[in-house]
Amino acid sequence: MLAEILVLGSIIGGIWALVASGFSLVFGVARILNFAHGTYFALGAYFALVAYGAFSRIMPPETALIISALLSCLIVGIVSVAVYIFTIKPVRAYEVMVILVTLAVALLIKEILLSIFSDVSISIEPFISGCVYIAGVPVTYTRILAFAIAISVILAMDLFINRTRLGKEILAVSQDSEAAMLVGIDVERVFLVVMFLSAVLAAVAGILYAQIYAVNPMTALRVLIYAFAIVILGGLGSVRGSVIAAFIIGYMQVAVSTLFASEWAEVVAMLAIIAILVVRPQGLMGVE
Amino acid sequence: MRTLTEKTLPGIYFLAFFLLFSVLPLFLNQAILYMLGLALIFVVYCVSWDIVAGYTGQTNLGHTVFIGIGAYTTALLSTSRIPHPDMPVFVTVFLGGVVATLFGLVIGAICLRLKGYYLALVTAILPLIFIQLANIYSGIFGGYEGFSIPFSKALPGGVVGNYYIALLFTFTCLLIMYAIVNSSIGVKLRAVRDDEELAEAVGIDVVKYKLLAFCVSAFFAGIAGALSVHYKLTVGVDSFSIPLMLEIILGVIAGGLGTFYGGAVGGFAIYVARNWVFIQLASYVNTLLPFHISDEMLLYALLIVLIVLSPQGLVTRLVESIKKTRNSKNENRA
Repeated sequence: MLAEILVLGSIIGGIWALVASGFSLVFGVARILNFAHGTYFALGAYFALVAYGAFSRIMPPETALIISALLSCLIVGIVSVAVYIFTIKPVRAYEVMVILVTLAVALLIKEILLSIFSDVSISIEPFISGCVYIAGVPVTYTRILAFAIAISVILAMDLFINRTRLGKEILAVSQDSEAAMLVGIDVERVFLVVMFLSAVLAAVAGILYAQIYAVNPMTALRVLIYAFAIVILGGLGSVRGSVIAAFIIGYMQVAVSTLFASEWAEVVAMLAIIAILVVRPQGLMGVE
Repeated sequence: MRTLTEKTLPGIYFLAFFLLFSVLPLFLNQAILYMLGLALIFVVYCVSWDIVAGYTGQTNLGHTVFIGIGAYTTALLSTSRIPHPDMPVFVTVFLGGVVATLFGLVIGAICLRLKGYYLALVTAILPLIFIQLANIYSGIFGGYEGFSIPFSKALPGGVVGNYYIALLFTFTCLLIMYAIVNSSIGVKLRAVRDDEELAEAVGIDVVKYKLLAFCVSAFFAGIAGALSVHYKLTVGVDSFSIPLMLEIILGVIAGGLGTFYGGAVGGFAIYVARNWVFIQLASYVNTLLPFHISDEMLLYALLIVLIVLSPQGLVTRLVESIKKTRNSKNENRA
């Protein structure tokens, strides 16, 4: 039981870490609470599915899968930048309006997905098949690969932010956007990069998730709940805090699902958010 | 003289609108009348939300919790799903408001410590908890679909009777809420909104007034939600749903946050647009297009456009520009 929670919790935790680190990055850098973030997760899976359907006719399935996954991430990134430019940027001064407009975007895209794909769950062909026993728990290679990809993407992002010049600009803006502007950083460009990056992370997570479980148009909002829980636990704006919190929420989710029922996992996550905030209004590891 | 007109003018507007709405059944068919009755109840959702959001400045994205609690309270008391004494409809509707007020007190107490983004996040999550619980305990709450209440618990008088009950109900609620926000309580709520520390410094009990705002808001949302159950004869998790919350917000924002009339007029307009105009429009557009457009899509698209074009509320902007031109005229005269 404990082994199962640890193994499966780590895998889902890795996927949540991808989602939450992007969500947190956008908040930390641009002070945007992006309610459309879960939508990029679902869109990633749907674009990959459609692209795979097209590519698998003209090339071997493995190549088609990888190409469609990459293409999907790129498209989702572009969608996110477009959403930012056309809807978020004009209202950025009004924090409540940012929430409303992104929520409206999320619901609009959900409706569009519903009208195209209807209310059925979809899955994506896994990259590899096979299964291995870890501590007595059967784990498919897909899940191990998903975990590996999630961890490498997060490490790559950490390196990017801390080592490259653009990454340091992002850090500077997150610390003080006005001061960053004063030293000649193009803040608007940094925002665009961050919006793109966060959506790509969400899309990767969505594709990995759809290979293990299934995605439907409602997933966008469900994912958002977990993203909220994680960033509140980790503290809004703290990327490393969210990665740690993602694993905590992952273990908790699997534990609740195995001990009670999977419906309770969300309720517990949501109650945990409220409990944490009542005790510590700025989140566990949060910045003000 | 001026103060006299300012004091009597809202009363005249109330009366004029009331008279206008009371003659409508003579001209309209039953289907539209049915929808207008629900639109009137929806106005109470909007204005009660405005008390917390617009007047007190607390970004409560979980207003539908109060509506849903009120709705489920009266629905459960009207069926035999839980043991209870038999009660007349107006008592169960009132109890819906009372239970919602209790939740308002609890949620208000939770939200006291939270500010800005965290407040928005927590309140956005609250309705989802109730939706999930309604699904888990579907034996009592009927799952996502909800359940119907017996016909004996319907409001009397058929469609026209229901409409007049909704009309009376809404105008009574509006009058009470208007009296509250324009009393000294309303002034204190606005003081809390504008500057919490300053309000505290001049001796306003911020905690008390925030909780009061949540309770008033919850009570009216609760009874309105409860009345809608007897109007529609069903209850479901859609009374908790995010789209409903978004429609409420859209109504108030379209009309103007913290203006009272904004929530009333905007809410009514949005409900009619959403449940009549958009449905007509969507079915018309769908005959022209190869793919399916739902009325929800039109609603969300309109919301996005409205917010992007005028983040501070359309009517507020209009009123401000009118005031500005009037002021400049006065200055010119001086």
